[in-house]
This record gives sequence, structure tokens and C-alpha cells, in this order.
Amino acid sequence: MSAGEFSGALPARASAGRSREASFDTGVSRYFVLALLIVGAVLTLFPFVLAAINAIKSPQDYGANGPVALPRSFDLTALVTFWNEVRFGEKLWNSFLISGCVAFFGVTISLFNAYAIGIGRVRGRGLVLIAYLFGIMVPQEALVYPIYYLAKTVGLYDTKTSVIVVFSVLQGAFGTYLLSAVLTAFPREIVDSAHIDGASRWQVLWHIVIPMLRPTLSVLAVFFFIWTWNEFLLPLVLLISNDNQNVSIALGSLHGQYTSAPTTSAAAALLGIIPTVIFFLVFQRTLMRGVTVGAIK
Amino acid sequence: MASSSERSAGGASAAGYYVYLIPGAIGFIAIVLVPFVMNTAASFTRWNGIARPRFIGFENYIRLFNDGTFWEAIEHALASVIAMSIIPLLIGLVLAAVLFDYISSRFGPRASSILRAAYYLPQILPVAVAGILWGWILNPIGVLDALFDMIGLHWLALNWIGDPTLALVSLMGVMVWLQVGYALVVFMSGLARVDPALYEAAEIDGAGWFTRFLNITVPMLKPEIFVVGLTTTIAALKVFAPVFVLTGGGPGTATTVPSYLAYYHFFTTNRVGYGAAISSIQLLVTVALGLLFLRVQTRQTEEAQ
Amino acid sequence: MIASQVNRRRALALTAAVFAGALGLSGAARAADDNVFKIWWYETPESSQATAWNKALDTFKAKHPDVKIEFEQKSWDQIEKAGALMLNSGDVPDILEYNKGNAFAGLVASQGLLTDLTGEATKRGWDKLLSPSELALSRYDDRGIFGSGPIWGIPNYGEFVTVYYNKDMFAANGLQVPTTYDEFKKVMDAFVAKGITPIAEAAGDYPVVHLMGELELSQVNQQWVQDYQGLKKPFDGKPFLYAAQQMKEWMDKGYITKDVTGLKAPDMAQLFESQKSPMVITGTWYVGEFVKKNQFKWGQFLFPGNTISQASTGNLWVVPKDSKHKDWAAEFIDITMSKDNQAILGNAGAVPVAADPAAITDPVAQMMIQGFNTLKDRDGLGFYPDWPTAGYYEVLLHSSQSLLSGQMTPDQFVEALRKPYDDAQAGAN
Repeated sequence: MSAGEFSGALPARASAGRSREASFDTGVSRYFVLALLIVGAVLTLFPFVLAAINAIKSPQDYGANGPVALPRSFDLTALVTFWNEVRFGEKLWNSFLISGCVAFFGVTISLFNAYAIGIGRVRGRGLVLIAYLFGIMVPQEALVYPIYYLAKTVGLYDTKTSVIVVFSVLQGAFGTYLLSAVLTAFPREIVDSAHIDGASRWQVLWHIVIPMLRPTLSVLAVFFFIWTWNEFLLPLVLLISNDNQNVSIALGSLHGQYTSAPTTSAAAALLGIIPTVIFFLVFQRTLMRGVTVGAIK
Repeated sequence: MASSSERSAGGASAAGYYVYLIPGAIGFIAIVLVPFVMNTAASFTRWNGIARPRFIGFENYIRLFNDGTFWEAIEHALASVIAMSIIPLLIGLVLAAVLFDYISSRFGPRASSILRAAYYLPQILPVAVAGILWGWILNPIGVLDALFDMIGLHWLALNWIGDPTLALVSLMGVMVWLQVGYALVVFMSGLARVDPALYEAAEIDGAGWFTRFLNITVPMLKPEIFVVGLTTTIAALKVFAPVFVLTGGGPGTATTVPSYLAYYHFFTTNRVGYGAAISSIQLLVTVALGLLFLRVQTRQTEEAQ
Repeated sequence: MIASQVNRRRALALTAAVFAGALGLSGAARAADDNVFKIWWYETPESSQATAWNKALDTFKAKHPDVKIEFEQKSWDQIEKAGALMLNSGDVPDILEYNKGNAFAGLVASQGLLTDLTGEATKRGWDKLLSPSELALSRYDDRGIFGSGPIWGIPNYGEFVTVYYNKDMFAANGLQVPTTYDEFKKVMDAFVAKGITPIAEAAGDYPVVHLMGELELSQVNQQWVQDYQGLKKPFDGKPFLYAAQQMKEWMDKGYITKDVTGLKAPDMAQLFESQKSPMVITGTWYVGEFVKKNQFKWGQFLFPGNTISQASTGNLWVVPKDSKHKDWAAEFIDITMSKDNQAILGNAGAVPVAADPAAITDPVAQMMIQGFNTLKDRDGLGFYPDWPTAGYYEVLLHSSQSLLSGQMTPDQFVEALRKPYDDAQAGAN
């Protein structure tokens, strides 16, 4: 079990790809499939296109021609005003901080739990798993009032810490469940041989499990980041001061009791998702450098 | 596979792993267990959220049992399971296999990566904004109907959001749009575990794509399939945001779901006790379904061993 | 492998340090409260209220140059969902804008979370600037029901529901502004005959409730309104039956489109702004948008045939119980009620409650103020049909949707409205 085997896996895949292509090129049909998938992707992205074309319209243009028409104007003033008024930059930073922390702590909690359950095979792990599953099942609205009162009691009301703790736990419940399933299927021989070599539980986790689990951990981190980024209800209740609020709350300020500014919403939203898109794309690369468990022959 | 009571060789006893459970346990108790108990307690009271709660026994539950809207909500929750769990799971599975096994080898991993990002993007969009955008598409003066009119399919230019029956269908469509990306990404990350040599060997033996799909992809992704299946089912039973922004539970109560009803009573009517009761029952249903699911899963994994 | 491990560890440590540092910073001490005036509101930054209130803050700053003003822009969602929780948390501003009505101001007033402003109101003469009917929404009794009791909040603008119309389209079709309900129907018939849907309407959210409200208010008097809003008597279905029947007739005759249930308020506004429909029935909150977007001559007329329309005073300035600077809060309210600030408010497009009519120069503002004053003078402030009990808005909305999509008859509509109202009525008496 060494680095050599891992890096060995990569070239093997690349050459496998080439040899497959050489032998089994089916010509036209692959383009058909690709075209189908591209059409599917375009349809999936269509709402984003709508958002984009309306983000740049002037209010008069939208009023006169509607949301479906192509823009006949280029007007970013509403967006700029919105950015300054709600101090969007600050909200972006808060969202980034909160989501980043939750991604980190959530993955950590999930990993520790799953390690104990899947590899450690602790007694009572079925119960532990069910408990965390329970954590996923509880509807958020049911938690709002209790968590509000608890946060108030410990003096964490209106702090980013409260939101980070809450979501690290809630996302961690999901992560525990996902990682337990994967770690239960983890090849025992590797762990056993490491123990024979004298490795401690921590060393096994850090040097063996984590590297092999990297694609899954990356997926988890991405999910947690994005899910936390868009969370609305609990942050709305727990974060009062403006310098603590996040992007999804800021987007809510566009929506008054009776009116909403759809074009500004669309524009603001596009701005709001850029960090998450970047985060996703960055971690996609890690996913692509996947490590195959099957490299152990 | 190792039996459940085995201790790893080399003296790393199972007991020592308990340490790793501590951080999660603390968090769980503070954020899930205690609030859950508080919520259950609240369900037996009449409470507006700030004043002192007043104990009223099972009154909330009796009222709930007789509340027609609640039963409709349960029905719609089951419809959500189809739209947010079953369909996206199937689509995600096929899509993942195609992107991984077919596109990746013929057009390069870049192409498959880009397509995956495209299908995943709906998960990134804030739901409030997705609601506005889908409103623009689905409302009677929106894109979809304009398109149908343009290509002459006038009979399809319907009131997709405003008609009670169609509203549920449209909502389910949006749910599929939202969830496919999640299933896709989980499955593709799981496939990164799979040794491509397996696929090569199968292709050399003459197995077509679908055969490879059934005999390699699906069995190898068993853990992910169970996870996606269970988590999407739970998410479907808990669904709130798409309903809230798209239809507001309407028209009438045509798309009301349990979370929406609970939210309504928690924050609009300020009948927190009643809302707590709704959440409790919702939780019960979810737990029941979850346990069923788990049983099937454990039996399947045991059989495989 | 070793090198990348070290790098990874370094990266992790660095990231952890950044996060920890940022968290530490974010929790850092806030400025001492002694010389800080904290104020919150949630009208959007481009709104007329925000314009006037920002000017009021300037006036306040001039009077107290050494006071640090901490303004926070809130959102409607936050006040609606977490307002009571915020006031209950102890972490409160010195003054804030709050929603009027039993479910909001009434609720927190009855929980003891607000400062009683009756004394200040008398001292500073606010109770002279506002008529008794305008003060109705400032008073809440110990059950949290409006109309009587101490003064808990001060409004400084008004709002009402009216019919906006496209003057160009009216002129092009040779039509006059209707003054009776029958004339109104004739005007709508004329548009239908030309293939134009006369009323831009939406039943996907609140506008349909306002339509229902206007129709229902055409059948009642002020005493009925007081009884209805105060939960004094069991539900009287007659006006609502009329409203339901009229709404069905409107749809059958093509006054509103068959697919209104699929449209929301922004869609409705857009239909009016794009001149697809010559009229829209909605409230003063849309004036700002219409001024910006309408590229045609437009005006407003009160719902023909009604003495009473949906109208009320606007959101309230409230002073939390734990406000650290109640004197400054009162002073700020005074500034917003001053003739100068009220004139700014009026000219910016909102309906002021205490402005000098001569100081209002903007023609649109004059038009809107005239509408509100007409209602006020004939005792025609009818409030809103969803106010009697919390959550009633959803009942009205969903029932209207079911009515217009054919799932409920007008009689069933009335029954759907009756039960929640009677439940609340019994509970309050």
C-alpha cells in the first residue's frame, strides 16, 4: 500500500480509455447521445438563462416587454444600488465564512462518526446510525423555536457561531449516514494490515482512510457548502444584526410585504451563486482525480 | 466480509473508537435531541411562541386528525416522494452511468464534467429565486405557454401553476429538475471508486452498455443508491421551500404539504403547539418509512454477504 | 506524497486560523451603547419612506452631532417571521418599524415587549395630528386586539387600495372614469368587446384578496367594519357571498382572465405596465414602481360604488421595552411627523398622514393623497379583511383560489371563511 499504487492507477485509466476508443468507436451513435445530453443540459439551464437576461434589463424594459423578452436595454443600476444598500459584499463574506466552516466541521463530524461506525464497528452502531438518521428526518420548522431559546440561553443568539454549530450538526447527520455506508464497504484487509504494522486508529484514519475517501469527502464538502449557503429559515431567526447576515437573507430584503423586484432578485441571485459555482467547479477537479479502491490487487 | 463482532487484529479494540463519536454526540444532543423533546412537549400545549405555554393534552392531535387539509398534505407528501426521490434517482443513475462509462471515454472526462456541472446547477440556485424563474416559465403569460402557442400546440398552453391538478404536476416537475443533480453527483463520485478495468473487461467480452449498467454499475453503487434513495425520500417528506415559492400551497390546498402546514401554524397563525403536533406526526411518518427502508437495505447487504 | 501531506496540513492549519480569526473578529465587542442610537426599518431602500426617513435621520444627526447612528436595513421576512423573537431576545434597537395589526404589533404589545407611548403622544401632540380612526391601529388591548387600549406605535404614512387606470387606453376607446358600480361594469364590458381584458388581476397571491375585499366592503357600513375587525359578532357571510358571486361573474364575463390563479402580483403589475390591461386594482405600494415603469398617462379612481375601501394607516414606529434611548426614539418619531418631513414623504410618493396639502408639489403624490383624504373624510377606512385573526389571509387566499378555479361554489366559499372566524371570535369573547 503506497503512493506508487495510487499514482499508478491514473495512467492505467487513461490508456484504458484510449484502447477502448480504438476498438469500439461506434461513430454516429455517440454524437447522438452527446446531443441528447446537451439538449437536456440546455433545458436544465434554461431558468438561469432567464435570470441572466432579466438581470440586465432596465425597469422600463421589463415593464413594457415582460420577463420573457430579450433585453432591449442594459441597466445595472438597481443591482449596484442593492449591492451598496444591503452591503452585499459583507453578506457574501458571511455566507462564505459560515458555509466554509460548516463544510469543514460537518465533514469532520461525519468522518469521525462514520469511522467509528463503519470501520470501528462499535457496539450499538445501529442505534447511533438510526439516531443520526433521525437527525435528518426532523423538519427544520420544528427546531426553530427550541433552538432560538437554547441559543438565547447560552448567549449565542445573533452570532455566526450559532448558525455554524447548528448546520455542522444537521449536515453532519446526513454526512454520517452517507459515509457510514461507504466505510462499511471499506476493505478490512487494509485496516487490519495497518494495525499489524503498528498503526494507531488515528494514523489509519489520517493516512489511509482520508486519502482513499477524498472524492466522497469532496462531494460532501461541496454539498454542505452549497446547502448551508442557501439556508434561509434558521439563519433568518438566529442572525439579527446586519453584519452577521448571509446572502439568502439579503436576497429576502428585495421582497417586501406586497412588492418584489424580480429583475433585481434575478441579478442579485446570479451574483449570489457565483461563489458556490466556483466552489463546485474547484472541487470537481478533485473529484476527477478520483482514486480507485480497486487498485489493491 | 468481517462479522459484526470481530475486533481488528493488532489490538485496536472496537471500544477505542468510541472517542470518535463524542463530538458528533454532543452536537446531536444539543441541536437535535433536546429541541426535539422541546418540540414534542410544545405539541401538547397552546402556545404563541413567547407567552407561557398552556398544557392542553392531546387536543392538538385530535384537531389534527379531523383536519382535512392535513390529510391532503400527507397525500401530496407521497407525491413528492415520487418526484423528489424515485424519478431523480432513476434519472441520476442512468445519467451517471452514461456520463461516466460512455461520454467520459468517448469525449473525455472534461465533457462529462461539464455536463455534470450543468445538471447540478439547479441545486445551487437559491430556491426563492428558482421560484421567481419558474413562475416566469410556468405562469399563463410565461415562456412555456408562449412556446406552445408559437409552435401551434395551443391545447398545451394551460394554466400550469393555477389549475389545481396541473399545479401538483408542475411542482413535481420542478422537484425533479432540482433533485437530479444531487443524485447524479453522488452516483458519479461513487463510480470514481469503481475500477474501470471491470468495464473494459466487460466490453471486451461483448457486453453492451445496458448490460454493463445492470451488472456492474448498479451493484457497485448499492451503497450510494440506498443513501440517495433514503435521503431523497426524507427530503421529499420534509419538502418546504419549492412549494412555498412556487404555489404557496395553492391553488386552494392543491399543493399543500406537511411542512408548509406546520410553517403556517408556527409563524402565521402563531399556533406553535399545533404546528409542533404537525411536525411530530410528520416525523413519525418519516421515521416509519425510514425504518422500513433501512430494513430492506440491511437485508440486502446481509444477503450480499 | 510527504510534501503534499505537509502542504495539505499547512493549508488546513492556515484555513482553520483564518476562520478562527474571522469568527473571533465577528464576535468582537460592539460599540458601547451609551452614545449610539439604533434604528431599524424594512421599507426597501428605494422606497419613498426610506427617502423621508433618511432625511429625518439627517435632521436628528444635526441636533445630536456626537451621537452615533446605527441604522440596520431589515427585511419584511425577518419582521414577519422573527419580529416577535427579536423583541423577546433582549437584543433590541432603540426604535423600529413594525407591522400593524393584531398578529404583529398586537401580539408583542400584549406580551409586554413594547413601550407605552400614550404619554409621549399626548405630550408631543401626535394624538392631535392623527384622527381617532387613524390611531385605531396604534392601540391594542391586553389581548392584543386593535382599536382600544394604550398607544403602542405611531404611523406616519397611510395606504389604500384603489383602481389604477391607463388614461391613454381609456381615451383611445372613448371611455370616462366610472363613478358607479354599474358604470364600472359598462366600462369593463366595452373593453371586453374590443378583445381587451379590462382588469389585470392575480390570484396566485394577495391581489385577489384585495379584489374580494373591495367587493365585500361595498355592502357594509363602518359599524359593520368595527364589529368585524373587533371579532364582536359571529361571522356575517352576506357581504362575502356577494363578493364571491361578483368575482365569479367577473371571470365569466371576461373582466379578469380565466387563468388568474396562475398569476402573481408582479405578473399582474407587468400586464398593466405593458398596457395589456387598462386597469389594475391594488394599493399605494405600487405607485413608486408605476412612476418608474409606466410609459403612458395613468391615474387612479377609488373603487366605484364603495363608500368604504381597504385602507389604513401604515406600519408603525414602535419603541421596544428595553430601548436604551426612549427619549431619542420619541424625538425621531416627532421629526418624521413634522410638517417638513411629512412633505418630503408625500413628495417622494407615499401618503403622509399629517402633511400640509400646500407643501405637496408632485402631481402623482397629490393624486394619491387626495384619494386617501377622500376616504378619510367620509370615514371610509375599511382596513383589510384578513386582519381579524392571525392566518386568516391564507384562508381568504386559498378559498378565493378554489372559488375561481371552480372547486368551490360561492356558498362553500362563505362556509370556508366562517369556521376560522367563528373559532377566533369564540376564543376572544
